[in-house]
Amino acid sequence: MIEPRGPGRLAVVTGASRGLGATIARFLAGAGFDLLLTARGAEALEVHASGLSGFGTRVRSLAGDVSDREHRDRLRALVESEGRLDLLVNNASELGPSPLPRLSDYPIDELERVYRVNVVAPVAIVQDLLPYLESARGLVVNISSDAAIGGYLGWGGYGASKAALDLVSRTLATELRDRGVSVVSVDPGDLRTAMHQSAFPGEDISDRPLPEITLPFWAWLLHQDPRLVSGSRFRAQADRWEVPA
Amino acid sequence: MSLALSEFGLPHELGADRTPEDRGIARDGVRLLVSDLEGETHHRFSELPELLREGDLLVVNESATLAASLPACTPHASFRVNVSTRYGSDLWLVEPRWGFGVPGPLPFAPGDRLEIGGVPARFVAEYPRIRRLGFVHAEGDLSTAMSAVGRPIHYGYLSREYPLDRYQTVFARVPGSAEMPSAARPFTPRLLDHLARSGVSIARIVLHSGVSSLEPGDGGPSGVPLFPEPFDVPKSAVDSIRTTHDRGGRVIAVGTTVVRALESATDACGLRPARGFTRLYLHADRPARTVDGLLTGFHEATSTHLALLASVAGLPRIERAYRAAVGAGYLGHEFGDSHLILLR
Repeated sequence: MIEPRGPGRLAVVTGASRGLGATIARFLAGAGFDLLLTARGAEALEVHASGLSGFGTRVRSLAGDVSDREHRDRLRALVESEGRLDLLVNNASELGPSPLPRLSDYPIDELERVYRVNVVAPVAIVQDLLPYLESARGLVVNISSDAAIGGYLGWGGYGASKAALDLVSRTLATELRDRGVSVVSVDPGDLRTAMHQSAFPGEDISDRPLPEITLPFWAWLLHQDPRLVSGSRFRAQADRWEVPA
Repeated sequence: MSLALSEFGLPHELGADRTPEDRGIARDGVRLLVSDLEGETHHRFSELPELLREGDLLVVNESATLAASLPACTPHASFRVNVSTRYGSDLWLVEPRWGFGVPGPLPFAPGDRLEIGGVPARFVAEYPRIRRLGFVHAEGDLSTAMSAVGRPIHYGYLSREYPLDRYQTVFARVPGSAEMPSAARPFTPRLLDHLARSGVSIARIVLHSGVSSLEPGDGGPSGVPLFPEPFDVPKSAVDSIRTTHDRGGRVIAVGTTVVRALESATDACGLRPARGFTRLYLHADRPARTVDGLLTGFHEATSTHLALLASVAGLPRIERAYRAAVGAGYLGHEFGDSHLILLR
């Protein structure tokens, strides 16, 4: 369990200014975590971070792009000053062009950006923050997608990057088990977010639930022994969540 | 869907407003309606051993009931908090209520401070689509508060308040249910001896039941008012169930919580040991496959409870049984009469 060990539990959430990332950040603040939030949009991030002040935990924000090495260096310096990291949520994601192109027509520079943000950046951030995750016996959560296993028309770029991220999660879970760091992959399910709207430009997505639908899952996950769930892939909107036998 | 079930169920006036003991009968003296392929017959619960066969297996829920209703306050108001589900020692799903008989929701916003059973806490977030439930982050352990100042959750239909021991079943071992897994309440040590001598065995699982106060509409327009509950189906129960089936015996769930736990532990390969949280919704179009019968109570219309019964025995059978129960004046709610549904 990432149980309370007195004050000072720290979580990093990327892509935390809106949508799922903002919802997770808000819940973590409520659950007593100190937060370090990142997102590209400085203003939206600042507004969201200051909105979390009522929970009595420390919330700091760092604007920047996770695919930017200098941004990641600043992130590492901030975590280093804390000395420990209990939870890393790699949530920042790049959908790709909207409307979603077919893989056969996909602009390659755009595809490279999707992979840099969705696959390379999470690996880089884990590399950077590993010593602090290790000292806290922390948990890494990589946000995946059902597109990772779907093969849906238009979702090839994003889906393939999330499939790669799923494999990154499983492999890191194996690699880092001995060092006490745990890694899971979470498919949040379809959500009514700006990113989902970009995937369906002009379409009505009001039948999708708001990101808050995933709160019970986060409540559950945060109280599992990370070592027992490490290597698992969860669906946040599933009707059951199991601890592997 | 549950709406199709709203046509029947137990009418409000047939709810038991006190324990069987207060009605002058023993726990195992409550009435037992048996519903099998032939039709309905009327019995006492104490006759259960004669109604089962040698080789049958009863699967029971070992969850013990908590004193889950705590006094609570903000600087401006006092109210009650019914604790539903423990996520961690510091994080709980709760139902704030104005009083035992007076439901919420109460107007909490994320970050609001409150005190629950003397423990400082913060409101974290409303439960998605179920406005009367919310997550709270507590600075101390609410389990301790429950032991100190908690009372069993009860609702307005009871004529009096009872101590916690009236809410424990003979199988209670693992504390964690907000409300009693009531199907097993009529079992007594004497009856267990009798069952053992008759060759009926017992298997044990755990499902910690949350609050039962939700109503149609909770859960959102398309949703069902179900939220995840902790469950644990151990290998010992799986082995007993397999052995029973291999030998031609019947597996009878004692309570809907047992059906939900067993179905939650079932995947495409069948039943296997499992633990976690489940909000699996069982209904007529999602039949239960693990059990050959169900021992349960009677409940009011429009509940997910009735949908689950339909998942076990099909809607027509449940409708027929409820008609018989209402006609014969069976009592509902946690202190009411019992219903044994047998599929073979």
